[in-house]
Amino acid sequence: MSELLDKIEYCIERGKVDKVSPYPPDLRGQDGSDELTKIALESGMNPADILESCNKGMLKIGEKFSRNEVFVPELLMAAKAMKAVMAHLKPYFQTGSVKAKGKFVIGTVAGDLHDIGKNLVSMVAEGSGWEVHDLGVDVKPVKFLDTIKNNPDCIVGLSALLTTTMENMAKTVQEIKKQYPGIRILVGGAPLTKDAAEKMGADGYAHDPQSAVEFLAKFNKAS
Amino acid sequence: MTDKQWDILKRVINGEVFNPMPIGFIIDCPWLPNWYGKNIIDYFSNDEIFFDANLKAINEFPEIMFLPGFWSEYGMCTEPSAFGARCSYPENEFPHAYKMINSADDIDELHQPDPAQDGILPFMLNRLKLVQPKIEAAGHKIRFSVSRGPLNIASYLMGTTELLTTMMMQPDKIETLMKKITQFLKEWHELQRKTFPTIDGILMLDDIIGFLGETEFREFGLPYFKEIYSGDVSVKFLHNDAPCRVSAPILPEMGINLFNMGFDVHLNELKTLTRNSITMLGNLPPRDVLAAGTPEEVEQKTKELIDSLEDRSRIIMSCGGGMPPNVSTENIMAFLKAVKSCR
Repeated sequence: MSELLDKIEYCIERGKVDKVSPYPPDLRGQDGSDELTKIALESGMNPADILESCNKGMLKIGEKFSRNEVFVPELLMAAKAMKAVMAHLKPYFQTGSVKAKGKFVIGTVAGDLHDIGKNLVSMVAEGSGWEVHDLGVDVKPVKFLDTIKNNPDCIVGLSALLTTTMENMAKTVQEIKKQYPGIRILVGGAPLTKDAAEKMGADGYAHDPQSAVEFLAKFNKAS
Repeated sequence: MTDKQWDILKRVINGEVFNPMPIGFIIDCPWLPNWYGKNIIDYFSNDEIFFDANLKAINEFPEIMFLPGFWSEYGMCTEPSAFGARCSYPENEFPHAYKMINSADDIDELHQPDPAQDGILPFMLNRLKLVQPKIEAAGHKIRFSVSRGPLNIASYLMGTTELLTTMMMQPDKIETLMKKITQFLKEWHELQRKTFPTIDGILMLDDIIGFLGETEFREFGLPYFKEIYSGDVSVKFLHNDAPCRVSAPILPEMGINLFNMGFDVHLNELKTLTRNSITMLGNLPPRDVLAAGTPEEVEQKTKELIDSLEDRSRIIMSCGGGMPPNVSTENIMAFLKAVKSCR
């Protein structure tokens, strides 16, 4: 049984989605996270254990990314493999037999259409067991506020790539804090620094997806 | 750029050391229109404002080389528009292009643009033609053909996430896309050179290089960049202010001789990584120091950067990236003062 979990973990780490996926070339023709999860569930494995394997795989690839041993394409493929697992686990989340670590609302701020940083963090957070509400790009403050209203226990992530939209990020932080002072906000993006994040009133700054997940881990409700 | 500036640029590239060190900045819509007191949309849509803003910059800072100089551009919409991408121009924000390739299968259907007629490229070129006599009357010449790089254009046409995952899942499709974009870019640069015989340099801007590992860059980037940079010009200039430690050792192979980077890697390390064969244009932190710092901070940090250099050859002092928004005249003067004082 644990061998199957190890294989799922490995598929996540290597970004092996399914049997037909040509990536990574050295695993061509082998089962991916999709098939292995199906087999694991059919054999009665605990979905929570499968999710835990995914978390381990995502942690490994996230650490490799932080060490510059792998790059954005590899991380995206790991997230894709993770998504295949999550599709199988979704019913178990809905029945409550698998618990998310918490809710994470994320979006790229108004005026900014860049999605890569937001997508990476979103995928890695989901892969780490968070219920992610991805609001997309060019998200106006009101949309964040509406989502927080319906998910008052969430953590909010704001992404920006452009220097000009950093100002919109600051405005979004201020508006959220004004209406929901207790909401924790994590910010990230190329133009940002820790200092700039603190100045705008954010609770955390993430320079890469791994550090975003480390921030979220402090508020894990499933532990 | 003036004849004198162009001569200095080429001599720096050839390894000559100047004292004080030369200074250069990439300037375009993120900084220039607002510095000149105009909205970005006015800068794009009015040839006079475009010319006067550039003229004011060169007159106010005659000791600085502005690259590419009188850059006729429409932000990130410029090249994607030729492929038919929907483009948006918020009044005083950067324009952006929406992706138009929704699945890898769309790549085969992508039309091959004609740079002489498609999208906003004719406007870009004609604007320069119209102001060329005034540029030359001001003692400057059009020196560079300019475009975003092939990976950057691919990311706009397809979306960055989709581009990078399709590289791994359907590499043949991305190869097709990169070939189409490369063919387009070769024709586009050729057309610019033909239109302005004073052009003797190529500038491409491409941050997507920074997202790739060496394997992906060698497969999906390097061959295409090499092909475009193989044009017969003296200055082959690349801007990538995303991470560059992985790609830096490969840059000499790409054929470039001038590089504007971010600020995460020290110039000493970059010179080692590129075997001191490429001239560096950099790399004071653009936002936290050049834009947000006081003139005193700019002066101090610039001096620290210069003092930390092991070798001043093949370095043009600048910021790490293009001139960011909201850099004041005072801060540019402080930068200039610092460079001049470090003899």
